[in-house]
Amino acid sequence: MKATSEEVQTSVKKLFEDGSIGHFIGYETGSDSLHVTPCFLKSGQAASRLVWNPLCANNLSKYLLDFKNVEGKVGIMVKGCDSRSVVELLKENQIDRDKVFIVGVPCSGIVDREKLLEVLGISPGEVVAVEDDGDAFLVTIKGGTQRVDKEKVLRGECLVCKYPTPLVYDVLLGEAVSSLPWVGDDYSLIKEQEALSSEEKALHWNREFSQCIRCYACRNICPVCTCTECIFDKKAPRWISKANDVSENLVYHLVRAFHVAGRCIDCGECERACPMNIPLRSLNKKVEKDLLELFDYTAGIDVEQQPPLTTYQLGDLDEFL
Amino acid sequence: MVDQTKSRIIEKNRLTELLDKLAQDYHLIAPVRDNNVSFRRVESGSEVTLDYINTVLSPKNAFFPQTETLFRFSRDDSRGFRTEPGAEADREQVIFGIRPCDARSLRLMDMVFNGQYKDSYYLDRREKTTLIGLACFDPAETCFCPTFGIDPASGEDVDILLSDIGDRYLVEASTEKGAALLDRFAEFFAELRGDEEQLREARKAGLAGMKKLDVSAIADKMAPLYEGDYWDSIGMKCLGCGICTYLCPTCHCFDIADVSLDEGGERFRCWDSCMFPEFTLMASGENPRPNRKARVQQRFFHKFKYFHDRNGELACVGCGRCLRYCPVNIDITQIIEDVTSGKAGNE
Repeated sequence: MKATSEEVQTSVKKLFEDGSIGHFIGYETGSDSLHVTPCFLKSGQAASRLVWNPLCANNLSKYLLDFKNVEGKVGIMVKGCDSRSVVELLKENQIDRDKVFIVGVPCSGIVDREKLLEVLGISPGEVVAVEDDGDAFLVTIKGGTQRVDKEKVLRGECLVCKYPTPLVYDVLLGEAVSSLPWVGDDYSLIKEQEALSSEEKALHWNREFSQCIRCYACRNICPVCTCTECIFDKKAPRWISKANDVSENLVYHLVRAFHVAGRCIDCGECERACPMNIPLRSLNKKVEKDLLELFDYTAGIDVEQQPPLTTYQLGDLDEFL
Repeated sequence: MVDQTKSRIIEKNRLTELLDKLAQDYHLIAPVRDNNVSFRRVESGSEVTLDYINTVLSPKNAFFPQTETLFRFSRDDSRGFRTEPGAEADREQVIFGIRPCDARSLRLMDMVFNGQYKDSYYLDRREKTTLIGLACFDPAETCFCPTFGIDPASGEDVDILLSDIGDRYLVEASTEKGAALLDRFAEFFAELRGDEEQLREARKAGLAGMKKLDVSAIADKMAPLYEGDYWDSIGMKCLGCGICTYLCPTCHCFDIADVSLDEGGERFRCWDSCMFPEFTLMASGENPRPNRKARVQQRFFHKFKYFHDRNGELACVGCGRCLRYCPVNIDITQIIEDVTSGKAGNE
């Protein structure tokens, strides 16, 4: 059985009561029925605000960095993907495992709002609630309920998700989900792009990056972008111009893709945050695929495993030297 | 009321042809669908889409580009430098499809760029621009422009207003500039048939129930919130990205920098955002707005207090972009309600 909002509320309330946590990071209903928003609790009294439903897209793990210096443990709600970024944060000593209480929730996919509205041909105000129902979502609309096939309205990263159940947790709410039936070849799109010529790739990405407005939402929302001082903000020396043009934008995106290489866990937050709809995941997926093929490495699985690009072994491949 | 003498109609099937003509004579800037719908320079009418509620980026780029060269400099033969203007003077431009909320934002930007200091770059473009607005009859859930006294079906801040009334557009010029453009392209426009007013009134039904908040006392109610913990949870949630400020049609802060190469370079200005830590970082290392809370607070104080203190207007037009695109769902209408209802001070 899937965990319900009520189970989350009861469980969090108990954690506050028995002193396991002093803070909790979860989700609450947002500005309308199609939005949730991050929610920060200091006591169990407000736990009734918490929700868990197929709209809980945000990866909350980055907020853990803001709780490094608080007293007591901070509790956090994580889905499968979010737990993998927690693994990365632990690997990099960004957070202390003893100071975090992880409430894991197995996830059977998150709704892509835009896709849902398009498939149903409705406006956001008409939606009352969205619930998980196996291979479909039950969407309550003013005046009735509609069943929508998940494959039509899932977020891109959920269509290729191999880790629906959290890999690290202190308590797991609801039954573990071992695999998602719709997940097939997660690199089919990347293979298509790899087949393009250099000129075609340049054309494609220049067109995409020409639309970037450098709002840095993709960086700021990224759970593994943890530098306190970022190369793109540095004024002296200035590594990248603040001028918005396609070559500066390209430098920004490529440097970021390389910096999160081996650390990106494909939570899809960069792409979700991008107001200009730039398909950022496909950059990161390409790097992910290369790391898998070259080093048999997948990020966010095991705290003991070091990312290939930050370790050195005598037996390393050196074909490029 | 439709002014019979200044108003015309254009059949929908003639619009593309009109846009083609406009693109020949002007820099035509219109909504284009790429990864999203945004205002772009177009060469022909077929590139333009009218299937949108509002664009992701407002048309502020056409007056206040994200990046613009102010001037170029290079060494001259003696020991000095010579400078030349950054860009050729732009041609006359037409912005087609601007919504009444975005049109109002230009009036607010004018207060900044045409106030105590005259910004020649902005004003030159503003002067050379004709605004062809598109009345809004199907607003989004996130729209709340009536809050700021904006009528989404009105042509108050544009030169010409088009209203979609089914098989044709009602075309009304509200300025001389607009009337001149209608005369120039008179071949595309026809006399009214008589039922236009009625058809437009029928379409206005879609505007009933739009969100309208009472902001009459908001500037006074903001003041005591400078101290206190109202902004704590909002600052906690905020990612500190630039989406809200960059998509906002009224946000106008910028930075100026030089690019220097061996033989010369250029000085440019570019959008900047109060959401970024470096926005207020001083050379000493001191940052008067040291955290996300302080920066979030600044954004709302600027919109609902400082701008009002200085210019007598609130710096928001209710376009809803910031709340629609915020990845963590920070909702400006909720903040307005919290502030005006007094809830914000009593947590």
